[in-house]
Amino acid sequence: MSKRYGSTVALASLDLEIERGEVFGLLGPNGSGKTTFIRLLSGYLLPTDGRLEICGCDAVEQSLEARRRIGYVPEAAPVYGYMRVREFLAFMARLRGLGERAVREAVDRVIAALALEPVADRPTRTLSRGFRQRTAIAQALVHDPELLILDEPANGLDPRQIIEIRALIRGLAGRHTVLMSSHVLGEVARTADRVGILLDGRLRGVRAMADTPDLEEWFLSLA
Amino acid sequence: MRMLGVLLRKELLATFGSPIGYTVAAVFLLVLGYTFSLTLFATKVANLIYILHQMYVLTILLVPALTMRAFAEERRNDTLELLLTAPVGEIWIVVAKFLAVYGLVLAMYCGAFVYVGVLETYGTPDWGPIGSGYLALICHAALIVAIGLLMSSLTENQVVAAALTLGASLMLWFADSVAYLLPAPVDSVVLNLSLIGHFRPMVTGSVFVSDIGYFVSGTLLALFLTTRRLAER
Repeated sequence: MSKRYGSTVALASLDLEIERGEVFGLLGPNGSGKTTFIRLLSGYLLPTDGRLEICGCDAVEQSLEARRRIGYVPEAAPVYGYMRVREFLAFMARLRGLGERAVREAVDRVIAALALEPVADRPTRTLSRGFRQRTAIAQALVHDPELLILDEPANGLDPRQIIEIRALIRGLAGRHTVLMSSHVLGEVARTADRVGILLDGRLRGVRAMADTPDLEEWFLSLA
Repeated sequence: MRMLGVLLRKELLATFGSPIGYTVAAVFLLVLGYTFSLTLFATKVANLIYILHQMYVLTILLVPALTMRAFAEERRNDTLELLLTAPVGEIWIVVAKFLAVYGLVLAMYCGAFVYVGVLETYGTPDWGPIGSGYLALICHAALIVAIGLLMSSLTENQVVAAALTLGASLMLWFADSVAYLLPAPVDSVVLNLSLIGHFRPMVTGSVFVSDIGYFVSGTLLALFLTTRRLAER
């Protein structure tokens, strides 16, 4: 698929298949098209041409069905500041079509999974960056999606929080397919099963991390 | 419809949880109270027509402050990404935002109904023009709120959104003044776009389907364009 804005090509003829249950890392410098790709997958943008299929659903023709299968955490980890954490998660669960009983269960489940108990009844505007990021991930997981999309999940976090988020993402592998983008080599190397390198809107290569002993060297050879 | 309920609840929380709504409502009622008292003491006539015109002007001036944040703030805070990537049609997002702000404006109008009570207590007001005047205001508010939402969907800057709404509303208000300067048949088209031209007959007791049609079709068009704007990906 491709994405163009007028004459500007943001993504050119990207051809990629992500396996069910894997953690796929998308690596590239700022402005390489990572966020465009992530936004295409999330349904926030639509491809200019080509075809995008999410868990068997065409992202254009079956847009709502495709979106039901996705959990998405934008780079800024947005939350509604006037809502409490529990309220925000319940709103996102209802928005994804969960019934009232399922909402309560799902909210309790993600609060426990992301260790949000200490802040569950606090307004989201008062959260630290780490708790805010976890809340954003919790909203993406609240409806138990097949595909979890994380745009720069370690951005702005301190070392301890980065380690926690990394462990969390690894823990999700298998049950969920995870696509994460990052411009930090080490972050992708430690978290992903496979990695794709995106440069100037083009996917330059895809490799399994097990076959890539030196990610830095491979990246430099492509850049 | 369930999605509309979920979104409306969130929008009401945002609208009634923000100091902007209360400030705008307070200013609206304060200015109206001041004008009503002055008019009543000066003319000694049980007449609401000045108040209804005042409400028309205040709606144009104050509604942009209520609608400016609808999409502009969501876009600036990146929360619009959450809404647009959820499995919900754009139309429900727009309708929920419209109903929340429109509800607040109607609540403000209800607050102003106390003046009708005062007139009824101390005089014998003519209920026909009062009823049609309120109907005119209800239609007028729907159109201004819908225009405000459309403008808010075009930018992430709230001040720009408010300025665009005010500008668009004022242009519609004064369209009849401009129409006389234009050649036929453009003049009649522009004349029919006039906000005050469709408001004035209703507020003086003459209800025409064409006037109601103007407000309803304008509101629906603005909401449709807002939905299209959100669907642009």
